[in-house]
Amino acid sequence: MQQEVVLAMLAKEPSHGYELRARLRQALGPVGEELNAGQVYVTLARLEKAGLVVSTAAPGVSERPDRKVYELTADGQQRVAAWLAEVDWPRPDLTEFHLKLIAAFTARLADPLAIVDAQRRELLRRLRDAQRAALAEPDTSDAALLLEGIVLRLQADLRWLEACERTWTNRRSRP
Amino acid sequence: MGRPWLIARLVLRDLRHRPGQAVLMLLAITAATATLTLGLALNGVTASPYLRTQAATNGADVTASVFPSGTSGARPADLAALTPLASAAGVTAASGPFPVAFATLRADGHAVPVQAQGRDQSAAAVDQPLVTQGTWVRPGQVVLERTFARAVGVAVGGTVTLDGRPFRVAGLAVTAAVPEYPGVCYYMTCNSPAGQAEESGMGLAWLTAAGARSLATPAAPLSYVLNLRLRDPAAATAFAAAHGPVAVTGPGSPSGPALLTWQQVQDADNDLVSVAQRVLAPGSWIAIALAVASVAVLAGGRMTEQRRRVGRLKAAGGGPSLVVVILLAEHLLIALVAATAGLGAGWLVAPALSSGGTGLLGAPGLPALSPGTVGLVMAVALGVTLAATLVPAVRAARTSTVRALADAARPPRRRALLLTVSAWLPVPLLLGVRLIARRQRRAVLGAASTAVTVMGVVAVMAAHRDADVATARFNWFAGLPDPVFGRVSQVMAVLTVVLVALAAVNVIIAGWATAVDARQPSALARALGGSRGQVSAGLSVAQVLPAVPGAVLGMPLGVLLFAAANGTGQVLVPPASWLTALLLGTLTAVAVLTFIPSLMTARTAVAPLLQAETFG
Amino acid sequence: MTLLSARGLRKAYGRGDALVRAVDDVSLDVEPGETVAIMGPSGCGKSTLLHLLGGLDRPDAGTITLDGRQVDQLGERGLARMRRDAVGFVFQAFHLMDELTAVENVELPALLAGRSPRAARRHALELLARTGLADRARFLPSALSGGQRQRVAVARALVSDPVIVLADEPTGNLDSAATLEVLRLFDDLHAAGQTLVIVTHDSRIAATADRLITMRDGAFIDETRLTGGTSGSLARLAGLDG
Repeated sequence: MQQEVVLAMLAKEPSHGYELRARLRQALGPVGEELNAGQVYVTLARLEKAGLVVSTAAPGVSERPDRKVYELTADGQQRVAAWLAEVDWPRPDLTEFHLKLIAAFTARLADPLAIVDAQRRELLRRLRDAQRAALAEPDTSDAALLLEGIVLRLQADLRWLEACERTWTNRRSRP
Repeated sequence: MGRPWLIARLVLRDLRHRPGQAVLMLLAITAATATLTLGLALNGVTASPYLRTQAATNGADVTASVFPSGTSGARPADLAALTPLASAAGVTAASGPFPVAFATLRADGHAVPVQAQGRDQSAAAVDQPLVTQGTWVRPGQVVLERTFARAVGVAVGGTVTLDGRPFRVAGLAVTAAVPEYPGVCYYMTCNSPAGQAEESGMGLAWLTAAGARSLATPAAPLSYVLNLRLRDPAAATAFAAAHGPVAVTGPGSPSGPALLTWQQVQDADNDLVSVAQRVLAPGSWIAIALAVASVAVLAGGRMTEQRRRVGRLKAAGGGPSLVVVILLAEHLLIALVAATAGLGAGWLVAPALSSGGTGLLGAPGLPALSPGTVGLVMAVALGVTLAATLVPAVRAARTSTVRALADAARPPRRRALLLTVSAWLPVPLLLGVRLIARRQRRAVLGAASTAVTVMGVVAVMAAHRDADVATARFNWFAGLPDPVFGRVSQVMAVLTVVLVALAAVNVIIAGWATAVDARQPSALARALGGSRGQVSAGLSVAQVLPAVPGAVLGMPLGVLLFAAANGTGQVLVPPASWLTALLLGTLTAVAVLTFIPSLMTARTAVAPLLQAETFG
Repeated sequence: MTLLSARGLRKAYGRGDALVRAVDDVSLDVEPGETVAIMGPSGCGKSTLLHLLGGLDRPDAGTITLDGRQVDQLGERGLARMRRDAVGFVFQAFHLMDELTAVENVELPALLAGRSPRAARRHALELLARTGLADRARFLPSALSGGQRQRVAVARALVSDPVIVLADEPTGNLDSAATLEVLRLFDDLHAAGQTLVIVTHDSRIAATADRLITMRDGAFIDETRLTGGTSGSLARLAGLDG
């Protein structure tokens, strides 16, 4: 769970642990279902250790993380501002797959085309799942936009796989 | 290389690329200009022929004749009553008196009464007949009046016998002193010994004076004729009234010269002419109108499928002005070549129709094709082509290159009523009506073209009826074919053929243009389940349907046109059977002529057409 | 029973050196209610194959059986009837008539089949409602967006209650938002049991299919069943790991 995401969720106002989790759930939709409850609190603990967040427990209530109230520190606010201004885009791992194909070919371990086809099939199935989920979401849901993004990324990856297939077919036909 | 050279090369390459369309356009404009030429030649020619003849022959204002009276020439003609007229008040010149004999001419199996005037070989001061072929009178030779000679079937150099005596035909001539054959005795200014019955169908001939005298017999003595020119030609009627009875009433009538004024001769001639004019005037205007309309339709219609070409030119870097110039140059080149060919064709045909009798059709010696006609025809062909192609060319040049390449022609207009109505019709009619609704202007032009053609044919039909009626008056011919009616029939036939041919070309071109335009919707209709037969029938319906109101409208218009043009305002309606036949014939012809392009469109492969991208 | 069965289809264009085997010995079976997607690079013959299956073109060799009837040897009339009654076609360029409103476009195949105008109009309006365009029924295509136009085209393909709908690059001319509209529509059709064969190079559309066939140089080279589990989770795809 990215630390900055949790920080940003607290930027508006301090909130309880369970409120935080609910907000995340709502924003992520089905993607958030797989989210382990504990992951959020682990991240909060780390943030607290780093001094970006402080937690207070209501008097007379137990010290359970979901009951605690979490709040951004000044450092935390700075961190959020900086994060919002960042333009770094998380990149998919194309290099690994690319090297996988070359290795298979040069070491004659497997047919690169078979690898590409298998990967393509897998991605298509995932695309189908993501698309299904996207279509099932109501229009007003925030999660729909996220799912759309997943679908479009998969689509782009599939286009690259098609290019891989073309290239490796030609490479194979050459002596 | 200069721009003109580039333009020329592009134009020629373009024409070579699609020769079929260029040839079709060439044919159409040729047909149109030939018709136009014919129309103009015929039109100008029937105006005041008599006056031209009179001027060319030094025609007489008054002719005076004296005849023998009593049975078997008991009382010879009173020459003494004639000669004083030559010096009467108001007379400026005179020729004669010339001897006149009435004889029977035999030639080519015909026996015809003829009035033979004796003349000097030198030219007379008044009424010197104009020789149109051959030479003037010589001893032993005869000159025949031109129309009469044609009717009898005699040519220069042939031999005829007058009362058994052979004479060689020296030449053919025309005169304004006597009404043209067969109206020579129109005003009963003849005195054939055999009586009135023989006077119908009498011909006119000229001999030497000696020759005429030799024809006189004791039983049939000579008559005499004197030709007078007056100081005031308009006073001819007054002069004739003052100096003698205007008409003779037969043998035994009171003696005294019979005077004939030039106005009477003109009326008689014009009577004959008017029959022809009733046909030719409206016919020629129709021909002109149809010709102009067909060029406009053709040139304008061709522009719509220029857009692709425009797109290519522009994509290759041509600017709008270059594109316009190329398109115009191409069309004007075709129009120029076609107009020249049309003029040539018209020039070949016109003389055959216009060189009739003197007073009837055309004055002697006038060429069939005047420079004015040539200029007008070329101007019309080029002008109409220019006008019809300029607007679409400029519009095409202004369209964005992309749209031109995508062949996005004028988007079809929407006619909700037609669409709703068509839903209730069987499939071919549904398709046909919707195709019409898409391109209404073309349907209207098709209807107009049909209307004009039908108008022309109906006017000709009415003239035919009129000629029937008119010639009923003239049925006093001595067994010879009626030259007037014969010539008029010939002219009408030619005119009808020309109109119909032009209309046929129009229909073919329009049918082909519609078929091209309808390719995409036809392909779609077939993809959605329409059969080839249904689509082909629909395309034919789209052509035939507009022709119906056109044909129906053209009929009353044709009757009106004839009534307006025949000078008497008489309304003549051709028989219903003819009109029905014309209507059915027109629709059948349209269906048949558009069958092939419709079928070809319906048979084009569907898939490639639907692969094409259309924008919007 | 297989709804559509093709065996040994061949179609070639050109001659000699310029001979192009657009469809080279292709065999295909489509079950009722199935959605089959055919993918491949441009020029691989997928559109030609669809034209053969839809009766828009005749194969040089091979057989096609649709709904129990052999259709490759049908005459022109028979093919027209097939196009009318049994097959619905959706084109990449929509091919709507510009001067007809949406409902008039949709009812056209029914009118061509000779159905009463009133019945055709009613059915057309129903279909437009089904595709979510009831309020746009009287609009001209020029007033509709790309996605809406293609949805009208799909409605038109459905008006004759076809046993199979063939779509040739249905989203080829559409942007991603419009693609989504059409995608949703195909998904609905699939859920309603309509048999679909879609030619596409858009993997999103392909992902709606039960079966995906890859084509190259006129022949099928791969076939994948897309139903069945995947090894990934949505959260991982979203980058939520770690």
